[in-house]
Amino acid sequence: MAAVASVRDLHVSAQTSSGAVAMLNGVSFDIDAGEIVGLIGESGSGKSTIVRSIIGLLEKNARIDSGTISVVGRHISAESDYRVIRGRHVGTVFQDTGGSLNPLMRIGRQLREVVNHHAEGLAKRARAERIRGSLARVGFSEEQVERVLRAYPHQLSGGMRQRVAVALAVVTEPELVIADECTSALDVTTQADVVRLLRTLVNSSDRGMLFVTHDLALASSLCSRLVVLNRGRVVEVGATEDVISRPAEAYTQALLAAGRSL
Amino acid sequence: MTSQPVSGRLRSRSAKLRAAPVGALAIPVVVIAIVAVTYPLLPLSDAGAQSLADGLRPPAWARGGSWAHPLGTDQLGRDVLARLAAGARLTLVIALLGTIASAIPGIMLGMLAGYKGGCVDAVISRLVDAQLALPYLLLAIGIQSVGGRSLTVLILVLALIGWAPFTRVVRAEVLSLRTRPFVLGLRCAGVSTPRLLMRHILPNIAGTVLVMATLQIGTVILAESALSFLGLGVVSPQISWGTMLAEGRDTLVHGWWVAAVPGAAISLLLLSTNLLGDALRTRFDPGNKEF
Repeated sequence: MAAVASVRDLHVSAQTSSGAVAMLNGVSFDIDAGEIVGLIGESGSGKSTIVRSIIGLLEKNARIDSGTISVVGRHISAESDYRVIRGRHVGTVFQDTGGSLNPLMRIGRQLREVVNHHAEGLAKRARAERIRGSLARVGFSEEQVERVLRAYPHQLSGGMRQRVAVALAVVTEPELVIADECTSALDVTTQADVVRLLRTLVNSSDRGMLFVTHDLALASSLCSRLVVLNRGRVVEVGATEDVISRPAEAYTQALLAAGRSL
Repeated sequence: MTSQPVSGRLRSRSAKLRAAPVGALAIPVVVIAIVAVTYPLLPLSDAGAQSLADGLRPPAWARGGSWAHPLGTDQLGRDVLARLAAGARLTLVIALLGTIASAIPGIMLGMLAGYKGGCVDAVISRLVDAQLALPYLLLAIGIQSVGGRSLTVLILVLALIGWAPFTRVVRAEVLSLRTRPFVLGLRCAGVSTPRLLMRHILPNIAGTVLVMATLQIGTVILAESALSFLGLGVVSPQISWGTMLAEGRDTLVHGWWVAAVPGAAISLLLLSTNLLGDALRTRFDPGNKEF
């Protein structure tokens, strides 16, 4: 299948008071349509830097030195490219469930805000249907959808909020969904719900997903391919079974061993 | 165990205070506004009429006072109640326009500094420092010597005096808001910066700004009275509570009421606008809504 996103030889560095520090050293991987790629690594390994490079929201002191990123065949280099892909082609779900929605805005209006921005050609009714459809797709019943649309974020539970955040990311029908530690703040049962939901979202369409996590067990249950990251370098890429059963690199073996010892 | 009921009682009292109807707190402000608008129709003596023989008559309830002048007279024999009613209009206009004129540029610059960061932030922050370091009376004298004396110039001076605190507070709020995941999420969803600032960040700082604005009303009224005292603000025969307060300083020993009455009126206005600001903030905070 065609790649919805590809990262080639990406080098990112950050300017600090003691000079430039390399954050990513030649990272390359592809995300194909219909597959979930797990990006795993410990804290500080560069997972978030990759995500922020793809959506063009790197910290002020960081910059892309070399390498290419392309999304749905479009080569991304300037801010204007990012403006085109953000939301429309790439949807993003973040970790913090409580803070990932505007606390002063009803859910319905927040969804409308994003849809209106990306669907200029769509009639008002089609937009409303799309919003309801996105909430239904993340598992809200018809009666719940009405309630959720009128609710403020604090009136929903953590799991419901995270499902709304997923709806917000997919309401524009993007080809690529990035889930950045999006289940880390949830309890285990809610985590399972959200993971099931993400899997359905990918299986039911030609979407690609980048699932960023430090949880190897979670990644191996959800992802078809894994990209293992250590200190800004890709140390291993491969099908999940291969990486889990025959880890080639010492770092991956250590990561697996650490998971088992718990 | 005894601390339990006490804190419980405190909690319920503060809850009751929070729940106090916005309408009740607005009463003094509304009364002052009605007086300001309908003053010419009220059965009061002429605010400008002087009668030196009737100078410094005390209020009706004090010894030597009479109901002809319920709140007494000033040193020129002018009725304090009539002047209070006549001054309400200019006071309210100056307080409102002065606050709005300082809040709008203050908020805009604060949002810009907090959101953009970098050299934009550096320039705006240094401007704030410079403004706060500059004695405002010097600024007022400078501007009025160039621009002359009029209500427009006075409002401009008040705006120049008052924008910096807004900028400082708004900048700090936006700095913390811009790193919140929902802002990042909206940026990822492709929402443009102006829209993000106006539709998402501004409402989130509105509570703070509202409380600041109600406090600013007090600062504006006092600044206006200081300017009037120096002959830079409102000057006779125009009347504002600030000028009344300033004029009353001359007679503080022999006629305390000349300064105390406008002082009390200013305090009442400030207190009720502050409480009103708090109540409005609570009223519009969705955190208090039931699902």
